[in-house]
Amino acid sequence: MIREILVNVLCPFLGTVAYVVLFNVPRRYYVSCGITGIVAWLVYLGASEGMSSAVASFLAVMVAVFLSRMLAVRMRCPITIFLLAAIIPLVPGAGIYYTAYYLVTDQLSLAAERGIEAVKIAFGIVVGIAFIVSIPKEVFQIHYWRGRKRRKRLKDMN
Amino acid sequence: MEINQITENKQDYMDLLLLADPQEDMIERYLEDGDLFVLSENGDILTVCVVLAKEKTCELKNIATAEQYQGKGYGKYMVRYVCEHYTGRYDLMYVGTGNSRKTLDFYKSCGFMNSHIVENFFTDNYREPIYEDGLLLTDMIYLKKKLDTEIDVKRVVDLALEAGRILLKNGGEIFRVEETIQHICRRFHVEDVEIFTLSHGIFMSAEDESGDAYTKVRHVPLSGTHLGIVAEVNELSREISAGQVGIDEAFDRLEEIEKMPAKREYFQVIAAGTGSFTFAILLKSTLAESMVAFVIGCIIHIWVLLAKRLNFSKIIVNIIGGVIMTALAILVLHMHGSGGLRLEGMITGSIMPLIPGVAFVNAIRDIADSDFLSGTVRMIDALLVFVYIAIGVGSTLAFYNSPIGGLVL
Repeated sequence: MIREILVNVLCPFLGTVAYVVLFNVPRRYYVSCGITGIVAWLVYLGASEGMSSAVASFLAVMVAVFLSRMLAVRMRCPITIFLLAAIIPLVPGAGIYYTAYYLVTDQLSLAAERGIEAVKIAFGIVVGIAFIVSIPKEVFQIHYWRGRKRRKRLKDMN
Repeated sequence: MEINQITENKQDYMDLLLLADPQEDMIERYLEDGDLFVLSENGDILTVCVVLAKEKTCELKNIATAEQYQGKGYGKYMVRYVCEHYTGRYDLMYVGTGNSRKTLDFYKSCGFMNSHIVENFFTDNYREPIYEDGLLLTDMIYLKKKLDTEIDVKRVVDLALEAGRILLKNGGEIFRVEETIQHICRRFHVEDVEIFTLSHGIFMSAEDESGDAYTKVRHVPLSGTHLGIVAEVNELSREISAGQVGIDEAFDRLEEIEKMPAKREYFQVIAAGTGSFTFAILLKSTLAESMVAFVIGCIIHIWVLLAKRLNFSKIIVNIIGGVIMTALAILVLHMHGSGGLRLEGMITGSIMPLIPGVAFVNAIRDIADSDFLSGTVRMIDALLVFVYIAIGVGSTLAFYNSPIGGLVL
């Protein structure tokens, strides 16, 4: 049990940080990247119990990208940094291998299955990101909500 | 923190204006015709300022900062902002003040110089005597500041384009590139700007007031991603549009940012290995297989770095990358003999260093922002990498499964 928790928290954290290092992300963003990676992975893990991996990826990416946008506004930096962290635990790297493997060993139906699976996951990721990215950016700024409350109060008063 | 020009209900700011000029009818004399600027943060009003413009000169009539925010540089920021705001249209900025050490020092630190004196201004125009720091104010002392001649449109375009080029080259989205260029141009009062950005180039054209157009095109070849640089340029652009950085300083900063080194190579290699190891574990490989993935991941990244130095194309880098990882895994499998290692357990994790994350993410963002042309190019760029890896892995496996492959081993 403890081992399981350790694996599912420590590995996505380390892995995500290691991956963003390859793109020269500044050191001050490592921890938030790692956390984004953990969130993406845990949501994926939880969702993949009952759902197909494509849907699970979609959900995981949605949650992680939402977090990314909040972090990007908060830390005043390009969101790309956190988006990277959000998708990397979900990218179907294994799918590529299996597709290639089944193709060359002439198990074409299995290859097609794996290939389509990978493409579906990729689509889940794409749609997940596109959804959250399309929300106007004011929503993620704190003073939008503060201002909203104030506006609402004014409206009630009138 | 933002500064806005107020055109309606100027009277609302009277409370603050009275801090600097105690008599209301004196304020009303210039408030109607003057330009009122308000510096605010999160809805709180910190500093107000009124400037009255005449033919070739303008005069700073009133500047006041709310008491609890005084001494924090907001006033200075405001003076700098209005000076830059009127630059190009007016030659001189005047400010008249009483004979008080503190205020005179303040304006001098903002770059004002002594101009002339209007005798008995305060005693003639104000009903009540005004005391400042215990001294009765009588004469009005005028200070002046020469407003720089208009900033060259060409230079602004060069700066904006340079910032855009650095962003695009290091993995910025199309939307970020265009936004940055627009912000920089607007900040230096170049309003007529058209930008067209593609994944490989920026086209930009700006018009100055006399209608002369200045156009520049920059080709930006695809190269390595450095998100640290993107973050820095982003920060710089924020500072530029807040008015904290002048044009010369901005050029210097950009040059410096571009020299920012990549992470040290051994660190990158270890990171690639660690990533491969952890993702192997997440993909349910055994510990032993994951260790192999660590080594393969390191070697793959060494290959990537080497290939970058030799300017190999992406096709070669990724196909050979796939070949290397598969060949190494097969080698380990044979050296180890019988004991429970699986090929897929060693390979799936070590693909990680090759995954084109930034291209993929940016492609999605560009498409979501309706920059379809660039989005498609980047998406194909990213997807082809996956195909190349698959070709590398597949061909090696095919070779291994063929009779000749069996003989070699």
